[in-house]
Amino acid sequence: MTTDSEVPRERKKDKKDQVYEDLINILTEELGVSPTDVDPTLDIREDLQFDSLQLYSFIITVEEAYDIRISDEQIDQVHTMNDLVDMVCGIIEQ
Amino acid sequence: MNDLEQQMAENLVSIFEKVLVAEEKSLQKGYFSNLSLAEMHTLDAIGPYEARTMTETAQILGITVGTLTVSVDRLVKKGFVARRRDEEDRRVVRISLTRDGKLAARMHGKFHKVLAKHILEPYTDEEQELLLSLVKEVDEYLNTQVARYDNDDKIRQTAKDVAKDVRRRKTDDD
Repeated sequence: MTTDSEVPRERKKDKKDQVYEDLINILTEELGVSPTDVDPTLDIREDLQFDSLQLYSFIITVEEAYDIRISDEQIDQVHTMNDLVDMVCGIIEQ
Repeated sequence: MNDLEQQMAENLVSIFEKVLVAEEKSLQKGYFSNLSLAEMHTLDAIGPYEARTMTETAQILGITVGTLTVSVDRLVKKGFVARRRDEEDRRVVRISLTRDGKLAARMHGKFHKVLAKHILEPYTDEEQELLLSLVKEVDEYLNTQVARYDNDDKIRQTAKDVAKDVRRRKTDDD
């Protein structure tokens, strides 16, 4: 039996999982990153060695995919894939 | 003109020249070397998100719709701008940035932010606030000066010619 408190957590997890999956697809299709190289703690700049152009290219695709706007200040606060998933989910929920 | 005013005048002109030169050079050496600085500023004025009308964009840039049309034609050919008719009013032309246009505008915006970051970096928080408020006051004063000549295309053209000449002299010096 599911308690009331578990329901929202479950929904939230589903959404984050979906966003995470979408982001991996974007990285794979747009920027040629192998899905096996990506994990939630991966540092987007350091581990993927993205330069500014690649990072913006990735961010613009994410913006278009979710019809959202991501400012430079928000990008600066993102380090790992987990950070990015949290940020995208946060913007979608606003 | 006293010594302080003389130094202020020289530094203002020097800042104006160097920002232009630094922008030009960063463009030439960057990923978007096929864009001129004027074209980059047109992309900035169009903005990365909503499609704008030609009239709105021309107003932001302080140029005529005719001048903007020439610039937009080039940017469409280069693949940075898309042009379409408004679906509700077919007389209205809307322009927006393509993916490459968005990329170029964001990269250029980053250039400005990095420049500002490095200028502010050596100062304490209070000094940064003070510097910013002084720069804003200078900017506001210059706005009032620009407004005086708003409808004077001849003076605007003269300012553009001077800026072009400054850039040419800088290039010749290098």
